[in-house]
Amino acid sequence: MILLNLLSVLVLLGSVCVVCVWGHGWREPLDCVRALELCNGDSQCSSSYRIMRQCLSGGARDRQTMLAGRECQGAIEVLQDSSLYDCRCKRAMKKELQCLQNYWSIHQGLTESGEDFYEMSPYELHEFSEEFRHASIISDSSLSKASPCSEPGKPCNPCLDAAKACNLNETCKRQRSNYIAICNKLSQPSLANQEPCSRKRCHKALRQFFERVQWELSYPLLFCSCSDQACAERRRQTIVPACSHQEKHRPSCLELRRACRSDALCRSRLADFHTNCQMTGHSITSCPHDNYHGCLMAYVGLIGSDVTPNYMDSSPSNSTISPWCSCRGTGNQENECDAFLRDFTHNTCLKNAIQAFGYGPEGSVLPVIESLATPFPPIQPPLNSKPAPSLHANEIKPQDSTCVFSTCANLKDGEQKCIPSNDFECEEALLAQGSKGEEGRAQHSAAAPGTLIVRECVSVCMSMLGLLLQAL
Amino acid sequence: ECSDLKPPCPYILPCLHLSVGLSVCLQESSSQTTKGAKSARRKRLKPCSLREVEVTVGELGLGYDSDETLLFRYCSGRCTARRRRNYDIALEHTRRAGLIKKGRRDKVQYSPCCRPIAYEKDISFLDNNSRYHTVQEVLARECGCA
Repeated sequence: MILLNLLSVLVLLGSVCVVCVWGHGWREPLDCVRALELCNGDSQCSSSYRIMRQCLSGGARDRQTMLAGRECQGAIEVLQDSSLYDCRCKRAMKKELQCLQNYWSIHQGLTESGEDFYEMSPYELHEFSEEFRHASIISDSSLSKASPCSEPGKPCNPCLDAAKACNLNETCKRQRSNYIAICNKLSQPSLANQEPCSRKRCHKALRQFFERVQWELSYPLLFCSCSDQACAERRRQTIVPACSHQEKHRPSCLELRRACRSDALCRSRLADFHTNCQMTGHSITSCPHDNYHGCLMAYVGLIGSDVTPNYMDSSPSNSTISPWCSCRGTGNQENECDAFLRDFTHNTCLKNAIQAFGYGPEGSVLPVIESLATPFPPIQPPLNSKPAPSLHANEIKPQDSTCVFSTCANLKDGEQKCIPSNDFECEEALLAQGSKGEEGRAQHSAAAPGTLIVRECVSVCMSMLGLLLQAL
Repeated sequence: ECSDLKPPCPYILPCLHLSVGLSVCLQESSSQTTKGAKSARRKRLKPCSLREVEVTVGELGLGYDSDETLLFRYCSGRCTARRRRNYDIALEHTRRAGLIKKGRRDKVQYSPCCRPIAYEKDISFLDNNSRYHTVQEVLARECGCA
């Protein structure tokens, strides 16, 4: 009897997993440069696009009435069926700015007010970094309770070690010297009273540094873990805050956000930060999909934009992170302003991610272990707590979701529910099945909505596996 | 490594700088044993090239107090006799002939030196007082016999 049970579960597990992983073809989202090219090839689409651009061209108030008009609504309807609708951009791709401009030119019109508190990231989902994970596991097993300072006798400064590692690498040294020289260079004497440096050039050099230097070398400079003030001060100084972060005038955070949203790159990076570092109660790490690396990448993406964040003080363990803005005197908008600011200053996901990076094992392994002990929480809602509704309805396509949700519904009838997270396991399981080879892997890594589905699918497989183990 | 004036090496043979104030000429010796020892020494001295050593910025002696480590690149090695220009030969000859007078204020070198022919543009670092500095031409990028 038990054997029979076991067999049936095994068969079910096998079939679900196969159906989930290979049953439906997830497709890579088109990049928005290509999507516009395709749209321009179609007369109806291209004219709708032109109309849409006009609808959005006016000021904020005009825009509302314009968009409500019949012509604009018609254009929106056409565009929702076009390839432009779910196009995405890749970080550091060729023509990234153009891609982002294309993205916003349509998505600005699709959301009701054109500006939600949280906006969807125009970037594809960040991949889970296998190296990041492995590095932490390796250091965990070899040093057990590894602190970043293991050399006895020497004063411990992981941030100094990070600078050394960077200096010993040609690209890192050159790029670092470059942004430091630019950010630290005083402006012409005639302009001396205005700005201590050329902020614009400094920001550009910083973006270039984080784009061109491998994260294994650049992230330790920014996320090193410190036990004393000298170290924490070095960490705070990483982005040359006197030029890139601080200003004489401290604007209101809403003002800062408005400035950021008028720039396609800044707006995208901010949306990406909100998507990937959004605190969520549905995962142990409080990060979306327990993806620390995605959050750190999104955070780093903000450096060199109007909302460049940084450590506000040189406290070794309890430093506050914030962009250069405040919510004082924002009047009736104070709540909204605070909510915006708290996503930086009181963000558990971001804090955990930084800590996990600095200490290796501490944060990244622990939650996975814990998740086995805690009762399975209900299935996780997609990414944002407050997403653009029109976008999310389509994020999971009906034919895709049949697999996930019907299976989960069946499971819910029993005592077991679906496992929503355990993404690392899922990823692993998926890679292990990589008989489809390079093609399959490339598709999986690129597809944004697709990967989401696959993760859920694999989660279901894992939960079934849990069932199986319990039966044993 | 540059040859010193003393002892003057015979034409075409380079000078080997051993330590402060002591140089020997690399030449064929009558004795078999010294010949072996000297050619071994000559072999040990690599041709002029870029070398590197890990040091902290503070150890460079430029007056900066910083514990940041970097790779100090410098030029070292032998400049072969073949690299001697007519200039070196002429200089040596005129000097020997007494046409250029020896004197304390006059120092001439008639074999090429291994020196940087290109430097890295600049190097930036944070000092121990949390100030950034950018210094030019600290690191050699390319070496040559000049």
